[in-house]
Amino acid sequence: MNAPIPQTIAQYLQQVRVALAGADRAVVQDALYDAEEHLRAELAANPGVSEADMLRRIATTYGSPEEVADIYRDTEVTVSRALRSPLPTPRSTAAGRFFGVAADPRTYGALFYMLLALATGMFFFTWSVTGVALSVGLSILIIGVPFVVLFISTIRVLSLVEGRIVEALLGVRMPRRPAYVQRGVPLLTRISHMFSDPRTWSTLLYFVLMLPLGVLYFSLAVTGLSLSLGLIFAPVASIFVDGMNSGVFLDGERVVPAGVAMPFALAVGIAVLFLTLHLARAVGQLHGRIAHHLLVKSAAGGIDPQPAPTPEPAPIPAT
Amino acid sequence: MDTDLHIRKFQKELAAGTVALVLLSVLGRSDRPLYGYEIAKQLERDGETPVAGKQSALYPVLRNLHSAGLLDSHVEPSVTGPPRRYYQATTLGRAVLADWQQAWHSTRDFVDDTLAG
Repeated sequence: MNAPIPQTIAQYLQQVRVALAGADRAVVQDALYDAEEHLRAELAANPGVSEADMLRRIATTYGSPEEVADIYRDTEVTVSRALRSPLPTPRSTAAGRFFGVAADPRTYGALFYMLLALATGMFFFTWSVTGVALSVGLSILIIGVPFVVLFISTIRVLSLVEGRIVEALLGVRMPRRPAYVQRGVPLLTRISHMFSDPRTWSTLLYFVLMLPLGVLYFSLAVTGLSLSLGLIFAPVASIFVDGMNSGVFLDGERVVPAGVAMPFALAVGIAVLFLTLHLARAVGQLHGRIAHHLLVKSAAGGIDPQPAPTPEPAPIPAT
Repeated sequence: MDTDLHIRKFQKELAAGTVALVLLSVLGRSDRPLYGYEIAKQLERDGETPVAGKQSALYPVLRNLHSAGLLDSHVEPSVTGPPRRYYQATTLGRAVLADWQQAWHSTRDFVDDTLAG
């Protein structure tokens, strides 16, 4: 308890943020959101009480900023341990490591994300580019300003949506609550904060990047899956469809008979399938890191009220 | 003898399971959705919430119960601050509450019996 007793809600939240320094940025965002909801409600429920008095009392009910930070840190450890599907035990043999990827739930989440990324990527790209183009075009008109503000707000909401998708499919912890916005400041300041917040721009960059990335992910996934499945089922087709008359043909001459080619096709198909699964898992991890980096504000970043100049040591009511 | 640290550690361990039960029972009994602050006030006795230690511990648990499908939640704007998240027990939540109550009663009886010798 070295920090001064907070006098305003903004100072309290700042102290929570400082106490949570180093924690996952998404945890910080959730903790600040919950704390603000509670403190504002407490303030509204006791209209006669000043903010400073309310905050002094809150330390014994809701908890001091340090206690709140500890609680969120602890809960996060317990929850992530309880919720995350257990990772498969690492195999010791090379073959075990190669084929073990099929037993890893993250692989399939990532594979699904790769397929989905084409659709979401196109949507995010179109939305961002249209929004930016219209914002620039309309900026000479009176409706330009509200349009830009509206567009930037939708970007922040979409950022949360993409965060939910990334967390569900790629297993990277993303915020579950919108970014904390400072209240009690004039609307114009809040709007200008939206523009000076580097996260707004990094989110826009992410959305534009999502089109090329989505096309790449989708192509890789579809190519890998169709190639491997085609090769795996070629022997079946060869036996049941054309009675082993297939094979490798060169200038109309069969140079490799089906009996030789098909076992080979099966083996290559299985190898390609597992390589695709490895690729999907790796892409999932990489993309999770990109998303976390570009969509989640750093715990210390943003425009925040400076920690208060140390106030007069306030008497702490005996509890 | 300073037993303070041990008391707090024990309370924390006790709270781990009981907070979820208490929250589920408050929401199971309520006929309308409640938000975090309302629930905290309902649980308050003489300015303290004995079961959770600090009220900030309630929010993460509410969120876990929601992601486990035991609670429904929706957001409503409020005039006093950020939009409030309201919670309500689901059918599954009410069924689970009955099971948890039973588990709690048998645990409590067992502990009481053991303590009584």
